[in-house]
Order: sequence, then C-alpha cells, then structure tokens
Amino acid sequence: MKKALTILSLALLGQASAATITVWTHFGDSELAWLRSQAADFKAKTGNTVNIVSVPFGEMTDKFIQSAPKGQGPDLLTTQPHDRLGQLAAAGVIEPMDKYVTSRTDLDKTALNAMTYQGKLFGIPMFAEAVAVVYNKALVPTAPTTWSAFLAAAQKNTGSGKFGYLADLSNAYMQYGIISAYGGYVFKNNGGTLNVKDVGLANAGADKASAFLNDLRYKYNLVPEGVNGDAAKSAFVQGRLGMFLTGPWDMGDIKKANINYGIIPFPTPPGASGKWSPFVGVQGTMLNSYSKNKVAAAQFAKQISSSDAQVAFNKAGGRIPASLSARTKLKADPVVQGFGKTISMGTPMPNVPQMGAVWGPWSNAIAQSVQKSGQNYGQILDKAVQEINSNIK
Amino acid sequence: MTTLSPPRSRTAVPPQGSRGILLALLILAALMGASVLIGWLLSTLAAQVVPGAPAYLLLVFTVVSLLVLAPLTHRAFPWITNWFYLLPALVFILAFTVLPVVLTVNYAFTNYSGQNSGNPDSAARQDATLSSDRRTVTLSGLTGSAQEYLNCAAPNCAGATLVLYDEDASVPYRVKVASAQGNAFTLAAPTPESVQVAQATRINKISYVGLANFQEIFGKASRALWPVFLWTVIFAFSTIVLNSVAGLILGILLYNKRLKGRNVYRTLLFLPWAIPTVISVQMWVALFNQQFGIVNKSLGLLGIVAIPWLNDPLWAKISILMVNLWLGFPYMMTATISALSTINDDLYEAAEIDGASRWQQITGITLPLLRNSFTPILLSGFAFNFNNFGIIYLLTAGGPAQEGRESTAQSTDILLSWGYNTAFVSAGGQNFALASAIALIIFFLTLAISIVNFKAAGVFEEARK
Amino acid sequence: MTTAPNNLPPGNLPPGGYVHREPSALRKALPWIIGVVVLALIGWLGAALVDSLKDKQKSFSIYYVDRGWVRFLLFLLAASGVLALTSLLGQRIGMARTGRRISYAAVLGDQLTHLFLILVVLIAIYPLFYVLIAAFDPRNSLFAFPDFGNPNIFYKTGLLPDLKQLNLENFAKLFEGVTIPAWQLLLAVIGGAALAAVLISLIVSKVGRDTDALANVRAWGLRVLVAALAVLVIFMGPAQFTGGSNESKFLLSVRNTLLVSGLTGVLAILLSTTAGYAMARLRFPGRFQMLLFFIFIQMFPVFLALVAVFKLLTDLGLGNTFAGLILAYSGGAIAFNTWIFKGYVESLPESLEEAAMVDGATRWQTFTRVVLPLSRGMLVFIFLNQFIGTYAEFILASILMTGVEHWTVGVMLRSFTSGQFSTKWGVFAAAATLGALPIVGLFYGFQNFFVGGAVAGGVKE
Repeated sequence: MKKALTILSLALLGQASAATITVWTHFGDSELAWLRSQAADFKAKTGNTVNIVSVPFGEMTDKFIQSAPKGQGPDLLTTQPHDRLGQLAAAGVIEPMDKYVTSRTDLDKTALNAMTYQGKLFGIPMFAEAVAVVYNKALVPTAPTTWSAFLAAAQKNTGSGKFGYLADLSNAYMQYGIISAYGGYVFKNNGGTLNVKDVGLANAGADKASAFLNDLRYKYNLVPEGVNGDAAKSAFVQGRLGMFLTGPWDMGDIKKANINYGIIPFPTPPGASGKWSPFVGVQGTMLNSYSKNKVAAAQFAKQISSSDAQVAFNKAGGRIPASLSARTKLKADPVVQGFGKTISMGTPMPNVPQMGAVWGPWSNAIAQSVQKSGQNYGQILDKAVQEINSNIK
Repeated sequence: MTTLSPPRSRTAVPPQGSRGILLALLILAALMGASVLIGWLLSTLAAQVVPGAPAYLLLVFTVVSLLVLAPLTHRAFPWITNWFYLLPALVFILAFTVLPVVLTVNYAFTNYSGQNSGNPDSAARQDATLSSDRRTVTLSGLTGSAQEYLNCAAPNCAGATLVLYDEDASVPYRVKVASAQGNAFTLAAPTPESVQVAQATRINKISYVGLANFQEIFGKASRALWPVFLWTVIFAFSTIVLNSVAGLILGILLYNKRLKGRNVYRTLLFLPWAIPTVISVQMWVALFNQQFGIVNKSLGLLGIVAIPWLNDPLWAKISILMVNLWLGFPYMMTATISALSTINDDLYEAAEIDGASRWQQITGITLPLLRNSFTPILLSGFAFNFNNFGIIYLLTAGGPAQEGRESTAQSTDILLSWGYNTAFVSAGGQNFALASAIALIIFFLTLAISIVNFKAAGVFEEARK
Repeated sequence: MTTAPNNLPPGNLPPGGYVHREPSALRKALPWIIGVVVLALIGWLGAALVDSLKDKQKSFSIYYVDRGWVRFLLFLLAASGVLALTSLLGQRIGMARTGRRISYAAVLGDQLTHLFLILVVLIAIYPLFYVLIAAFDPRNSLFAFPDFGNPNIFYKTGLLPDLKQLNLENFAKLFEGVTIPAWQLLLAVIGGAALAAVLISLIVSKVGRDTDALANVRAWGLRVLVAALAVLVIFMGPAQFTGGSNESKFLLSVRNTLLVSGLTGVLAILLSTTAGYAMARLRFPGRFQMLLFFIFIQMFPVFLALVAVFKLLTDLGLGNTFAGLILAYSGGAIAFNTWIFKGYVESLPESLEEAAMVDGATRWQTFTRVVLPLSRGMLVFIFLNQFIGTYAEFILASILMTGVEHWTVGVMLRSFTSGQFSTKWGVFAAAATLGALPIVGLFYGFQNFFVGGAVAGGVKE
C-alpha cells in the first residue's frame, strides 16, 4: 500500500513537473509532419508536451511582438529569418540563448554569426537558404558557367510558349546577388560591424545592376513582364522552362514533377566587378523572453537543430541544414550540394533592426526599375535611399 | 446615487432641451460607471478567491450589475426608459468602438511602435550585480554613458526605469532609478530580498511626442497623403458611377417583361455578388496575370498585346475598378429591378399614349423615379468603397511600385491600406503611432465627406423627423 | 424630356400636385457639360493607356490571332444581321398568328438584348467556371499555359485546363484525416433531408399551386435544417481533424466561420433592433444627437485601431477566443443596422401600434408583440447581411486568432495564396468552391430578403 502511494505520488510529481511548451511554426505539409514527429520524440524523452501552432510566415513577427508581452505568445518561434532578429530583440520579445547553447561546434559559423546580435546569440540556427539557378537537364544539357553560355542557353529555349530563364525580377531579395556583383550593398560592412549610416543601394554599381535587371527583361527578352516566382515554378514543373532562379523551398514540387534538374550559381553578370553573391538567409528557432518554460523550450530548440533531426528535416522539405555533421551526411544530395555552393558564395542579410526600414523602399525601387524599359535608375534608387535614411533617422 | 432622486423628476415626461440630454447622459454615465465599478470589484474579489479566474468575468459581472441597476434607475427616473432602448447598442459601442478609438487617438501623439512598446529591451541586456544594501545596481559591461543607455532626459537619469532579471530571466522586475554614476545605478528604493539580480536592461518606453506624427505626415504629404487621398476619392467615386451605370443598363434591359428567359440571365448575373469577396478577389489575381492569366489569353484571341493589368500603376487602377465592377454590378442591377417594380405601370401607359418613345420613357420616367431609390444606395456605396480595404489588399496589396511615393503608399493604396501598411507590414516598421495619426486623419476626412453627402441627400432632415 | 416630371414632387406640395418649372439654361446645359468633361477624361485616360502599351512586344507565351478583334466585330455584325432576319421572320409569323400589330423594332431590340446579355453572362461567369475546373486540376496552378501544337483552340490558348488530367486530389487534401462520428452523419442526413424537402416543396409550389401544407413543410424544413446545422456547428471540434497539414482543417475553418458569423448575426439583431425602434418611434431629447453619434463614431477606421482592440481583448482574457472575435465584429455595424431598422419601422403604419397601446399594451409590449413580428423580413436581412459580411472578413480574424484550429475560412484561404514563397492555387480553388457554397446557397435561398432589405432600408414610399 505504501509502495503504491509512493509510486502514485511520484507519478503525480512527474505530471506536475512536465511542462507544455507552445511552438509557432510556419512549416507546412511534410515539414509540419516532421515537426510533429520531433514533438512526439520530445514527449517520449522528457515528458514535456509540445503544442504546435501554425502561423503564416508573413504574420509571425507582428503577431509575436504584439502578443508576447501580454503573455499570449508561444515559447518558441520555429523559425524566424535572421534579418528580423534586431527588430525582435529591440522589442524585447526574444531571449538571449547563449547560456542554453553550450556546444556550438556542430553549427555552421556563418549561421551562428547571423543569429548573433550585439554579442548575444538570439536563436539556434536551423537552416540557411540562398537562391540558385535550377535548370532542367532535358532543355539545358550542359550547365552554363559564363554569362555568354548562360545567355545562349536561355535564348535558345525562349519562344512559343517556352522559356529559357525566368526569375522574379522585381524581388529585391532574390536579385541581391546581381546587385552585390556590381558593387552594391545594403549597409557598409566595416570588418564585421555594419554602418547603418552608409547605405550602398544607390551607388554606381547598384545603378548598373538595375540596368542589367532591366536588360534581362527588355534587351535580352528573357523574362517577360508579370512573371513572379509562382508562375516561374508552374512553368518549370510543366517542363516549359529551362532555368529559373529559386530557393530550396520549391524543390519539393520540382521533385514531385519528376524533372531531371541541376543546381548552379548564376554566372558573373557582364561588366560586374565581383562574383554573383546572393543574400543568405539563416532561419532559426527563437525563444520568447516572456516564456515560463525557458529551459524545456530551449531543450526542444536544441533537439530540432541536432544532427539527426536535421537530416530528417532535409528529407522532409529539402532545406539546407545549419548542422555541419548533418550536411556531411547529406553530401551526396544534389540539392544540398547545389544550394550549399551558393550559400558559401553568398552574403548574409544584415540582422540589425534598421533592416526593417530598408525592405519597403528598396523593394519598391527594384520593382520600379523593371517596370518599363530604359529608366533613370539613379534617380529611382536615390529616392529609395533617401526614404531609407529618413526612416532610420 | 439612485436613491437620492428628487421627487419632482418622478414623471414619465423627460426634461426638454439640452438640459434634458445632459441629465440623461449623466444618469446613464452614472449607471454604467457604477456597473463597471461593481463588475471590477466583484471580478477582483473572484480573482482573490479563485486564483486564475478568467479576466472576462469583469464583463459578466458588469452586465449583471447593469441588469440589476437599470430597474432601480427606472424607478427613480421613469422617463429614462426611452434611453434604455438605446442601452444595448450604446454599451457595445462604448466598449468596442469608443474605447479603442480613445486609445488610438492617444497613441497618435506618442512614438509607440514595435520597438518603443514600453517593454524591456532584450538586445541591451547586461550582466548586473546588486550591492549588499540592495540599492545599487552595477552594469559591468556598460560602455556608453548611463544617459545614453537609459535614453533619459536628465544626465543622472533620476526617475528612469531599470528592469532586473534573475539567473533564469523568468520574471522581469521593474525598479526606479534615483541617480546614475558611471555604470552604477542607485535605486529609489532597496529591492526586496525575494528578487535576485543577475541581469538588467532598459525599457524602450512609449513617450509623448506632441504633433510629431502629424508633422511627419504633412511633411511627406506630397508623396503619400495627397496622392493617396486623391486616388481614394477617385476610386470610390468611379466605382459607384461605373457600377450604377452597368447596373442600370442591365436592370432596365432585364425589366423588359417581353424578354424570354430573363430570370435565367438574372440568376446567372447574380453570381458574382453571391461569392464572398475574399474568394473572388484572390481568384482575379491569378486570372489577371500578365503572361499566364486567362484574361490576357482571351485578349490574345482578339490580337491584343498582353496588358500589364497588375504591373503598371495606371493599369492596376483600371483592374481594381474592373474587379470592383464585377463584384458590384449585380447588386446595382438587382436594386434597379426591384426599384423599377415599384413604379406604377400606368405612367408608362400614359406616356405611350402620348407617343413617347422607349428612350423618352426611360429618361423621362424611369431615371427620375429611380433617383430617389438610388440616392441612399449610392451614398452608402461611396462610404463603403472609401474604406474598401479588402479589394485593394487582396488584388494589388497597394502595388505596383510608383516613383516618387513613400513605400507604404504605392500606386493603388487607399487611405486605409496606407495606414495598414504603416502599422502592420513589417517593411513599414510597425509604426503604430504613425498609423494612429493616419487613422485620425482618415476619420476627419470621412467625416467631412459624409457631412457634405448627408447634407446633399437630406439625411439629417430624415433623421430629425 | 421636359414634358415628364424630372423630379418627384417635394413634400410641401399638395398630394398629387405637380407644378411645372422651366429649368434654367445652366441647369439644362449641365448634363451636356458633364458629358463633355467625362468624354474628355475618358479620351485622355484611353490615350494614356494605349500609350503605355505602345512599345510592348508580343508575349511568346500567349497565342495571338492577328487582327482578331476585326474578326470578332465582323462576327457581331453578322450575328446582328442574322438576328435582323430572324426578327423579321418572327414578327411576320407572330402577326399572322395573333393578328395583332407587332413592332419590328421591339422584336429586333429583344433579339439584340439577348445577344448582348449572352456576351455579358459569358464574360461575367467564365472566370468562375475556370476556377471551378482548376479546383479539379492536380497541378496546383491557376495559370493557363498554352499548348501551341494542339489544334483545339481552347487548349491552344490555354483557356481550358487539360480536362484529361482532372481528378479529386485537391479536394482529397481538404478532407485528409477528417473523422466524422455517426451522430454527426445522422445530423447531416437529417439536415440534407430537410433541405431536400424545402427545395421540393418550393419547386412544387412554383409548378403548381402554393398551398398551406407546402408552406408548412417549408417552414418546418427550414427549422429542422437550422437546428441540425446549429448542433453540428456547435459540437464539431478540433479533435475530429487528425490530418497533419493545415488544409486538412478546412472543414473545421468552415465550422468556425459558421459559428462566428451566426452568433455575430444574432448579436447584430439584439443590439440594433431596440435602438432602431426607439429612434423611429420614441420622441425624446437627445435621440437625434445619439443617432448622429452612432453614425459618426463608426466612421472611425476601427481597422486601424486594431492594436487597441487587440490590447482590449487580451486584457479581458478574450485573446484568441471566438467570443473575443464575435465581440469585435459585433461592435462594427451597429450604426448601419440601427439606421436600416429605423427606416423600416418608419415605413410601418403607426396605427397598429396605437391600437395596441389603446388596448393597454406598454411601449415594450408593443415593440415585442406588434413591431417585431411585423419586421421578420427585416430581421432576416440584418442577420444575413451581418452573417455574410462576417463570413468574408479575414483581416481582423487573422490578427486576433492564432493557430489553425482557430482559423476562419477567409484566413485559411489567404494562407494558401500568401505562403512565404509559394502559393497553392489548386487547393485554393477547391477550398474556394466549397467555401463559397454556403453563401451562394444563402444568397439564392433568400434572394428576396436581400433585395427587399437593401432597398427597403433606404427607400420609404
């Protein structure tokens, strides 16, 4: 009897100490299923329940900033891109995770740096992403490495309902590689610290980059007006498109469509001063500073960034893991290999809060630059930078 | 307060004039105030007795006490029953419209944003140690001055707030600073024993900035406020003109009793109205795609080049008007038909005998008679479209980009979507204060336009009668 | 034009009296001036639009028919010619058969009206038809890709998705992992049967004569249907949806929306009828000022006060609850509903109420026993209007509600088209088709209430 009571009380104690942690995620389909299975593992291992809540990607930041101080936020965000880090930290809703992440050897250095703001680690990196050129081997048999070969391959496939190369030209994030190749930059990087007073999106290089983007549409006649990433993917999975600029997020649909694909970086554009270097976005799990279960939550965050979990995660959605050992295990995977290369060529997005003031004006300027042929790019970009500077103050 | 009523007001006749209004409002305010007070007391009590009692008990208790107090008030002032008919609507409007509006107006004069939210800053968090007398907090890692760090007016930061954390950073504890010296902060009062200090940070406080938000709006008015306002008016006006013209034509055509199968046409043409806009507008985004949408595919059959429906600032405006026409003409058509059916057929017969042609009948009888039914429909249509955020947001999200505009106020943004972009789209920087100022401006613009409209349509006379 | 009254007699004239006043020259010229200005504006706009297309090269993804518009105009001309002939024939045959004079212009006018209306219907309905087809297209795209090699003009242009590929995959995704217990099935069957009974009785009454028995069947059928639906909506829960993906919770989002919209509609009636009645019938100081206050305060864009609404609801412990959402919605349309109901009550004859008062009824009794039963149609209109408005709302819902279990249909549909980088048009089309059904059904079922209510609120004869 006494023994039974002890067991009972122990069981009750176990019940009481078990926490329920809430995770907001923007994952869908197979990645969501992966997160659920991770939650089940975590429950089996620690007894803590993980409650997974789907929140659309675009709404997560705003919602979180609003609800966390009211105690309505989740314990973890899975995942947020690192360019929002500064904003979230300044709003005080995310917790520095330095003391929870004791071993960092397995995590990619660049990814860790991207997640670090003001000397504090604000998130456990999960995956990195950068855009690359995905091509259909049936239409483009040999991968072009120079601009002239690229142009020839693209133009050969363009016409009568088919496309050689498509990209969302009006999307600043997607086209940053070209801008940086010509010498444009967002904030001047002075040996690791970003100077937010020096915005390089309207310098001579950025002007040239806008002209080149415009040429892709109106001079080389490759990317017609009105093509967005969505339409490009639809065309690619139907086998009507030779090459297109995209990120790992489209690979699931491409694999499903049984297209024989390859992944390469964009060639150095004509007259550029440097190599094409796309934006690298690192997404990581962040911890709510108002969370009541920080230890358990951090434990779950570490679990889903661990090597084995990351391999499974890649299998589910094709993203490029931040865990180095997971990358080694996935070496043979063409997606990891292809995007891994562009990630290593890339530039991390700035993670300072001022980045929030950049996106709007800059995206608009890029969109304007490709709206019609032959425009005054310098003027458009100057106006945008003026607005950025006045918003930063 | 209900028992102190003087006997002379125990009459069913309400006091007249503005004194009567004031008295009634006073009594209602007292009634509601008392209910809220009782509700608050009871819910606090409930929270004491049962920890974790839900906060909405406040609402429940308030409503209950309102139900108890109302008959008592009635006994004291019998004429107040007239006002009780308004009470449900009034209570609701006060709670869920007036209260948020008051808060928002308040925000308009602050610097409230995602960052300046009155909460502790995580990025500025520093290791901290507390002195043995529990009055001095030292931030060993602080590099700049204390004034810079706490962002306070006085150099010694008297009265500023510091937030203390324990090792787990579980519960932030706010303390007032009495003075700051270097990286040592002397607190106004010693911290309690129960608080352990390992880290500290500042508050990104919400402060009043006077008219700065309005100055910003009017300073950039040529790049945001004026063009957006102009387009909002054009959009609302053209929409009702286009919709009512299309509706009138179709309605008059379909009211022709000789026409066979007119009910079939009517039923089919009714469909765009019946589909929720959140569905149909998003569908048009895909159909209007310049390269792959079926609209341009169809135009290709006519030999017309691909039109940049959603990618050109001018065409995007046309697209919005067209989609709004598609959404709205069935309503106007149906309204025309039902208004026509109220017109006496004798008028037409008389006109026919006088030898009036069909066209003369339409311009001489139908349209003038329809004007009466249409005025309120057009007015409410204008008011609705003036703030028709849904179609803009779903179809173009304010885009496409236009040169010389603020990034939150693009070529098809109306006033409301401009405010929304400022407040909620991350690119706009969650500038809640600026958005509140915009809301205030929109309110006054809407008010001015409505008063002119109401005057013209005689709404005031109708309401007064 | 001047022989007919160009204005309704204003109220101060003797009843039926009409005094003709010759309009001033300016007044007469006004329509022409406005016409010229509008034409000039349209011309300028047209020129600007054409100018923007000037140097557009032809897209290589679109199938062009050169000078296709000429062919189209020729076709219209030919069709009109054929109609002119058939009208002539019809007129002659008609006159010979009935022996009455039939105007040729009237017959031709009707024929041309048919042609015009058919074109309008085609243009207005084809997009919906296209989306309906796309709902069955598993390739997840609302984009039309041309197939230049195909001789079929619909495939060649891409105006029709490949019909051979169609299947139910998109719909299957919406119902993956949904478990329906037997009692819910039973309720659904009962509701379906009631709906069928209503429809059959409607058809019978349209074909033959409407009898009391049929009307009874309809009334009870509707009641059973509403009751079955209400029980279903209230007791359906998230636990029944075991699918892993967000779209598998679609039916749950429909349930949530019905719950929220239904309660919001009921609340709208409760909040606005008494106020509308008082504004229409009771005379007391402050009534007019209160009405203006209602109308003007609701012109504040509450939408931009969302941060404050959010704060209010979370402080009340109603954040992320349906109750909070319903309260937030209900605050929105009080002024409009009150105004509409006031207008309706004013159109009722006051004698009925006076008779009741003479019989000793109090104001309140008059309101509940005389006015409310008379305004059943108006109440239905207020309910439906609020219901449908709420059904289509998505911004407030997406800001106040978190988690797919709490999504409404609008939020769910928005999530398909606003993913980080990808949109699910196929699933969207399928969900849109199913999600629109309840509202389309309501619209057609209650057509008369709608039109009547919308017009009656504003128009008072």
